[in-house]
Amino acid sequence: MIIFRKIKYLLYPSVWHFYLQHTQTCFQMLYWKLTTMADFCKSSLFYSDKKLCYAEILPPSVVRARIEVAVLNFLKILNSPNPAITDLPLISRTSNNSRVSRGLMTDVSSIFLSHSFCTRSLMRANAAKAFVRVWKVMEMCFQLLTEEKRVTQRELFYKLLCNSPDYFTSQLEVNRTIQDVVALLHCSRYSLGIMASSRGALTGRLLLQDPNQETIDCTACGSSGYAITGDLNVIEKLVMQSDARYIIVVEKHAIFQRLADDRIFNKIPSILVTGKGYPDIATRLLLYRMSRAFPNLPIVALVDWNPAGLAILCTFKFGSIGMGLEAYRFACNVKWLGLRGDDLPLIPEESLVPLKPRDLQIAKSLMSSELLQRRIAVNDSERSKGRN
Amino acid sequence: MSSILSPALPTSSFPGTANASQEMAGRDSSLKPCDLLKKIREFTRSLLVDLSGGRSLSISLDRYRNYCTDPSGKCYCSSDLPKGKEILSLQRECHAYRLDVLLRVLHIVQQLLQENKHGSKRDIYYMHPSIFSEQAVVDRAINDICILLKCSRHNLNVASVGNGLVMGWLRFFEGGRKFDCIKSPCTVHPVPVHVEEVTGIMSIAEYILVVEKEAVFQRLANDKFCSTNRCIIITGRGYPDVSTRRFLRLLTEKLCLPAYCLVDCDPYGFDILTTYRFGSMQMAYDAKFMRVTELHWLGAFPSDSKKYCLPERCLLPLTAEDKRRAEGLLQRCYLQREEPQWRLELEMMLQGGVKFEIEALSVSSISFLSEMYIPSKIQGQLYI
Repeated sequence: MIIFRKIKYLLYPSVWHFYLQHTQTCFQMLYWKLTTMADFCKSSLFYSDKKLCYAEILPPSVVRARIEVAVLNFLKILNSPNPAITDLPLISRTSNNSRVSRGLMTDVSSIFLSHSFCTRSLMRANAAKAFVRVWKVMEMCFQLLTEEKRVTQRELFYKLLCNSPDYFTSQLEVNRTIQDVVALLHCSRYSLGIMASSRGALTGRLLLQDPNQETIDCTACGSSGYAITGDLNVIEKLVMQSDARYIIVVEKHAIFQRLADDRIFNKIPSILVTGKGYPDIATRLLLYRMSRAFPNLPIVALVDWNPAGLAILCTFKFGSIGMGLEAYRFACNVKWLGLRGDDLPLIPEESLVPLKPRDLQIAKSLMSSELLQRRIAVNDSERSKGRN
Repeated sequence: MSSILSPALPTSSFPGTANASQEMAGRDSSLKPCDLLKKIREFTRSLLVDLSGGRSLSISLDRYRNYCTDPSGKCYCSSDLPKGKEILSLQRECHAYRLDVLLRVLHIVQQLLQENKHGSKRDIYYMHPSIFSEQAVVDRAINDICILLKCSRHNLNVASVGNGLVMGWLRFFEGGRKFDCIKSPCTVHPVPVHVEEVTGIMSIAEYILVVEKEAVFQRLANDKFCSTNRCIIITGRGYPDVSTRRFLRLLTEKLCLPAYCLVDCDPYGFDILTTYRFGSMQMAYDAKFMRVTELHWLGAFPSDSKKYCLPERCLLPLTAEDKRRAEGLLQRCYLQREEPQWRLELEMMLQGGVKFEIEALSVSSISFLSEMYIPSKIQGQLYI
């Protein structure tokens, strides 16, 4: 490709030197190089973008409009010469429908869900209730959005329980139906008016400012750190400043607290983040915003030497299938700092625990997913040790 | 053990060893590390003296409990004195193992105190995981050491991971750092882990609201409850951990504010209420410093379901596990003695056979909890 060749030449020092002698040409070339590189970067995902489905964070009015469109569509087909009850097409949230996109010029890869649909239909006897549940939840969310209120998933369960007792009997059904609505309307759970708290915490050399509020210095947040809020709007608007050199992601709260107690961020200028296990959306969004605000800071992860630790690392790095519609954009280039295979000699023999069946299950599913294809060597070494 | 053998003393003077005299010294939670190190040395010395004197090694530990199942009301659970002793000797194998674990953990604690570092219980477990077969063994050893040395867990530099949240009209300093919630009363802060370093508590709140669940805490934060009501809201996110309980106790002591507790109307919620009020059995030796005697039960009562017209659907049936738990709770002696009204409500719950959660109150209107339920109950003094 012509663009490729031109860029290749621009990168050779000798050619650059030649251009320096012709200043005007040089500036033109520089300008051209920057714009094409920027366009190139932006477009590098365009090929895989075609296959990508995503749920956006939308303002309430847009979500209400989408619900209205769904209703009108349904009515239109019901009123047509061949009346029928339409099926609801939902983006399928299974591993068959998930793909991994590897950015061409960036280090960021992420999981995304493609266009494979599953349907909710009134016509299938066993699944008819699931069809009705989706409509009930959409009705409830429409009401909440009109009143401009937010609810937790549990409160939504109680409201639905009282409204439509025949259809909702457990919290699990409500949670699954909410994910169905997300997959149908292509909008995030947060846009539907459902609030969730975040478990994540943050400490280290970072100054956070909520607009119209005071600046928070995260070094002075004590050993529990700054509690990450569950409100995604607030996180989007935070202004960040930092003089750190690294961002360290920690799997466990206990380790985070120990590092914060020891003030490691003063010895190694860094920012510490933890999701206290599998990270939630708010933690991942904050990490993503930090990676964008400070693109030169390497992000490294400190996880346990077990399949669950590696799975958590993969969630930070690629995203997850369950939240594949919303969270694909929050993927960050996270490197694996430890524990690694070559750290094993540092650990006393007696601390090693054999892998349990659940651990093997997680390891198998990681191996079979596309995520780690290039990192087979690492996984093999983990499996061969068979130790935890 | 790296203690230096001193010339043999005629009798060992450390309380808790076989030939000790009874010491009625109270528990002091303001011990300095040097005091504790001295106690550890004395303890080890007295053990060695026993051994070198040819006597069998035995340690006596005080037994503490904060409730029993004696219905007569004539038990002494309300006093903070130890109720009986447990003797650990080398004659029984399980005791020998327990002694082994205790001495190893004591050695680790001594190192922590000497190096002025903190460790968590999990860290201690990982130092000898093959000998400490599970975490519970380490936990018990730490409790035994606290009883032996008559101190609290934080004196041993054993810190746990903090799990509580607080918001409201409060300002305090922790280890030199300022936490000012007054400027933005609806911002959520984690409860400080090192509660003993909290100073300079200042507040203009009128009461403290203790909430069981994080979801309810979030609902109150979302409704900006603290902007319209002058209060402090604290949650332990389920069973409260040690730092949340200590922090609540500190707030009620220093600020002399009434505290109201909001839990679900089920045996699990009631258990959490008693944990805040009386302390837990596990930490019974330290209950004096962790319980809040002026805690009132604000809700939800079984009678609230009729009073606030809760839809039938929201009343879930009690499971077999719930009934067992409720029956166990009813037998606790402190309820009859100190909070008979709580006991009546629990009986009503068991008889009614239904339970409900706080979120069920918001069915008719989302802000019902923050706009109507809590303010009306507090103003109308409808708490027990």
